[in-house]
Amino acid sequence: MIKLQNIQKVYRTDTIETLALNGINLDVAKGEFLSIMGPSGCGKSTLLNIMGLLDEPSKGSISIAEQTTGRFNDKQLAKFRNQKLGFIFQSYHLIGDLQVIDNVELPLLYRDTNAKERRRLATEALEKVGLSNRLKHFPKQLSGGQRQRVAIARAIVGNPEIILADEPTGNLDSAMGNEIMDILLQLNRNDGTTIVMVTHDENMAQKTHRLVRLFDGSQVQ
Amino acid sequence: MIKHLFKLIWNKKKQNFLLITEILVSFMVIFAVFILVVNYYQHYKQPMGFEYDHVWVVNYQSDVKIKDKDSLDVYYKTILSNIKAMPQVQEVSFASSNVPFSANTHMNNVDYKKVHVNRVNYYTAGDAYDKVLNMKVTEGRWFGKQDDAATVKPVIINRTLRQQLFGNGKALGEKVGGNDSKRIIVGVVEDVKAKGDYQEAGLAMYERIDTSSNDGRGRILVKVNANADAAFESRLYKLMASNSNNSGIEIEHLTDKRKTINNTTLIPMIILLVVACFLIINVALGLFGVLWYNINKRKGEIGLRRAIGASGDSVSWQLVTESMILATLALFIGIFFAVQFPLLNVFDLPASVYLTAILLSVMFIYLLVLICSLYPGKQASAILPAIALHEE
Repeated sequence: MIKLQNIQKVYRTDTIETLALNGINLDVAKGEFLSIMGPSGCGKSTLLNIMGLLDEPSKGSISIAEQTTGRFNDKQLAKFRNQKLGFIFQSYHLIGDLQVIDNVELPLLYRDTNAKERRRLATEALEKVGLSNRLKHFPKQLSGGQRQRVAIARAIVGNPEIILADEPTGNLDSAMGNEIMDILLQLNRNDGTTIVMVTHDENMAQKTHRLVRLFDGSQVQ
Repeated sequence: MIKHLFKLIWNKKKQNFLLITEILVSFMVIFAVFILVVNYYQHYKQPMGFEYDHVWVVNYQSDVKIKDKDSLDVYYKTILSNIKAMPQVQEVSFASSNVPFSANTHMNNVDYKKVHVNRVNYYTAGDAYDKVLNMKVTEGRWFGKQDDAATVKPVIINRTLRQQLFGNGKALGEKVGGNDSKRIIVGVVEDVKAKGDYQEAGLAMYERIDTSSNDGRGRILVKVNANADAAFESRLYKLMASNSNNSGIEIEHLTDKRKTINNTTLIPMIILLVVACFLIINVALGLFGVLWYNINKRKGEIGLRRAIGASGDSVSWQLVTESMILATLALFIGIFFAVQFPLLNVFDLPASVYLTAILLSVMFIYLLVLICSLYPGKQASAILPAIALHEE
């Protein structure tokens, strides 16, 4: 489903050159739940951004859903992200000025989906994460766990084949973290969604199919 | 998407209030400027209604001691015939002090049956006044010898006054004014823009000058040939000095007076335009700054939108559209206030002036907001999603 070949990422400033990722080769199978672990600054999020086509590698190639994305222009990348990928972030990234339902509808705004259909799909997604009674709430009226569930609903509303989660339980206590993890596991199990999750939490990582460890930008496991 | 943006703007109404207010104030200032500009332009494109080239104005102060009316009549007519006898002179006429392009104004009211018209310019004119200025008589005639024995004072009115007094009805032969000062209309002339290119012709009534009296006089209009030069002007001066027996004589050219009176309109307008320009620059910088600040504040949102499927162009489009929606909201309020001007007839200007000014102001504000939002929008589209999401 995701194939990374010899990925290298270098950040350059006028004075410093930082090697964030070095020679990463990774295959993620369809329906797999992969977790990525490693100490802070080891390149986990950079790797996830590259997988999510939010950042470009300095070297190497990426193939997602059997499409090599290296030659995609900005519009093609945007369309690809919209249709194939769903994102979950540690800090939720909900738009505070929009109600829960409107936040969940966001990815569908960039598709040719009419308003009625958008509302239906967003309601369904929120039902899946158990928030059908919070449609008209604003993010600030929700707890951290509820916010992350909204973010998950937003990630799955467009029915993507892959979900990329960057420390989805990082801001939550263990009970809430477990709730979120259960939802992700259900999505993987029931819908066959491929999930790549960056985490610091060993317990969460152990619940996934496979664990990849990074250290100083290189894959060590 | 537009509905989504409306919702976003509505939910951020507190933050957007100041920006909407700024656009609204700009609209009102621009509207005021455009009212002036459109009003002046509408007057400017109207015909002058007369010819001012090669027309000179002789200002004199007659201290003639003749008491007998017939002798006085002969005296003034002799002055005119002496001037007309000069080879460079085509036509000559007495006039009151409110000659074209002068700052003098004589105003009064006119009544006709139940119609009462205010602010009518009164001119006292000689029998050749229309020929000197090449005015167009559209109905009836100009003054002539047949008026010497008139029992009711003859008057001539301009087209606008005719319209106000009589509409499409008959004007010639109708009597206007009170019982003790009845005047009969013997002619109608085209409107004359006597206060310059940028002022309206207004309402005008012409009375025949009485050469057997010293009243209502003080100027002589002289239409000269193209070859009338400074030497001729000197001879004319000497002729007038010898006739009027004093030195208070001044000769002016209507072309010069036109420039002077046009400047009195244009200079304040130019000053206002300069002030408005500074204001617009300030508003533009303000808008630009607020939009720039908004983009920096919304980097996380921009990063998120890029992650979930927005291209750089659509992010840019979104921010520009948001600004245009804000402008539209401000303009709705602005237009509501602006349309009160024609509805309440605030400055006694035609509704077309206000409506054109509203249209131009709306276009100007949209253009201003578009220009101010294009660059911040483009900058937003260049934000890398990974960096924006990380910063948040």
